[in-house]
Amino acid sequence: MTQVPKVIGFICDWSVDLKPLSDGGRLRELPNVRVVQVPCSGFVRPDWLEEALNRGADGVFVTGCPYGDCLNREGNFLMRDRIDQLQRRLQRRKVDTARIGMLAFGLHDGAAFLAEVKAFVDRIAVLPPAQPARTAGRPAVAQPAGTPEGERT
Amino acid sequence: MSTVVERQTPGRYARLMTTLLRETLRLDVWVNRLYPTDFNPLYYTGGLSNLFLFTLVLSGIFLFFYYDASLGEAFASVQYITDRVPYGGIVRGVHRYAADGFIVAILLHLLRNWFTDRHLFARDNPWISGMFLLLFGGFIGFTGYQLVWDERAQLLTSMFVAMLRSIPAFGATLTRLFIGGLGISDGTLVRILFLHIGPATALYAFLWWHYVRLRHPKIWPPGVWVLFCVGLVFLLAGVVPMTRETIPAAAPAAHPTSFPMDVFFLIPFWLLNFLPAGVVVLLLVALFVGGLAIPYASRRETPVEMGVRHSGVAQVIDGNCTGCELCYYDCPYNAIVMVPSPGPGLSKAAANRSLLAVVIESRCVECGICIGACPFEALELPKFLERDVLRQVAEALRPGSGQAVRA
Amino acid sequence: MRTVYTMGVALLSGLSLLFAVGIIYGEATDQWFLGGGSVGALLIAYSFIVLLLRKMGMTGPRKTER
Repeated sequence: MTQVPKVIGFICDWSVDLKPLSDGGRLRELPNVRVVQVPCSGFVRPDWLEEALNRGADGVFVTGCPYGDCLNREGNFLMRDRIDQLQRRLQRRKVDTARIGMLAFGLHDGAAFLAEVKAFVDRIAVLPPAQPARTAGRPAVAQPAGTPEGERT
Repeated sequence: MSTVVERQTPGRYARLMTTLLRETLRLDVWVNRLYPTDFNPLYYTGGLSNLFLFTLVLSGIFLFFYYDASLGEAFASVQYITDRVPYGGIVRGVHRYAADGFIVAILLHLLRNWFTDRHLFARDNPWISGMFLLLFGGFIGFTGYQLVWDERAQLLTSMFVAMLRSIPAFGATLTRLFIGGLGISDGTLVRILFLHIGPATALYAFLWWHYVRLRHPKIWPPGVWVLFCVGLVFLLAGVVPMTRETIPAAAPAAHPTSFPMDVFFLIPFWLLNFLPAGVVVLLLVALFVGGLAIPYASRRETPVEMGVRHSGVAQVIDGNCTGCELCYYDCPYNAIVMVPSPGPGLSKAAANRSLLAVVIESRCVECGICIGACPFEALELPKFLERDVLRQVAEALRPGSGQAVRA
Repeated sequence: MRTVYTMGVALLSGLSLLFAVGIIYGEATDQWFLGGGSVGALLIAYSFIVLLLRKMGMTGPRKTER
């Protein structure tokens, strides 16, 4: 990927404190990282992560509470499991598994969170572009060959 | 701590609770520097309590085999355990220090779940049962001190009788029930033994209630802490042995006036130094009732009132549900049950279902984990629909989108 | 950092051996408190060994927490 990668993060309400880190929908220090806030990391459906990749995101991550401290007890464990399964599915379609990440940070872990996100972005930035190549300026709802998950509306 | 705050000005209590929550989590940062998060003891305070309880049960069974519940023989049997039974003194020490550890772990557990808001709205069952566990645990510790039947036990018994007598209307009856007659006799000790072992067994019934609304309760701490806590208890038993406190045996002629204090279980009796018995009883009752009221007392009872995201309780989209049970297995609060499907669903996948998911709304905390689990889009949070999420994703990925996305 | 951890593990292992000897000695000479205290010290040493091994990265978290 040549330019700055576009990354979407699903960040749980109860994990890292986003108020000092973001304004509106993006991280101040990493403006290419857009943020969607969710009630629990376990709320995220793996379909949405795939959708984000299909719509042109270069990477997508979910952030939950530290393992063992999920406010809803198991959300981050469940999400980690689902992302494992999603990564295995995507591997079969030759999508690089580095594009999907699971992070776990607590309320005061802002600095560590930003460092981890930056490492994630750097990892994606050196990956070859996702197939098929996209023309700039038009979001491609690219369906990798043989979409198995039923009709997508 | 939710970062989606939609209220205007929070009240003083709400601000205090928020501060407590933030500072509790700040403590986590320091602990997580020492321990990886899956070893952080603050995440496993319930498991630690259970560990100490288990140690207490095992050591208690050992002690029970040698204990003689009679006025003349109780102290002698305890001496026999300490002096003549191999490792008897160690097991006595283990029993004592595990009890102290139990109280410490329970209080940590109470404070953690209080300050991190894990006791509100649909999560009040563990809190209420936990209050009973605390009450019973404290009482069991007290009767344990009585069983030794030394001068401390003698004084404790008369103090307790004074407290019972101060209860209006029922005081005399309760005293007679407790003592088993009009004066202290062998029967008293038998009753005290029952009041030690019976409530200890009842603890497990309360634990059932404690776990009933949770899926996969964390009932055991990480191995590191099992090793450390059991080791600590044994080390203390060996290095600070029980025989250090040389309290003579109880005797009818003795009228003890003081005893070595124990801060874990005997604080109400220390208060009797300054307050009349009736006031102490009232204080304990007030503490207990106040503790029971904590989930309900403030106006922070529901997500709306707490000023955090309130997306509404999860709703099953009946037409899409295929009865696959994935949401049932993932819900951390057992808020989803599977019922026999009253009829086929609307979508092709749902047409042949035999089960249907139903959300028990009183147990739902609106976390949305079921939405993440469902492959068939058969669950939604009413105020945060899937299409809202996808709209945010699409807006964020629109080329040239430099504007902030409305969260 | 790793050498510090390794030295710590080695030291604790040596101490564990010492405590194990203490257990056997306490058992042999009927000094129950020595034996019991050594059991406790041994378990605590084990717990720190496990912690150091984890911090070294030789034992890892469960797969779900990578």
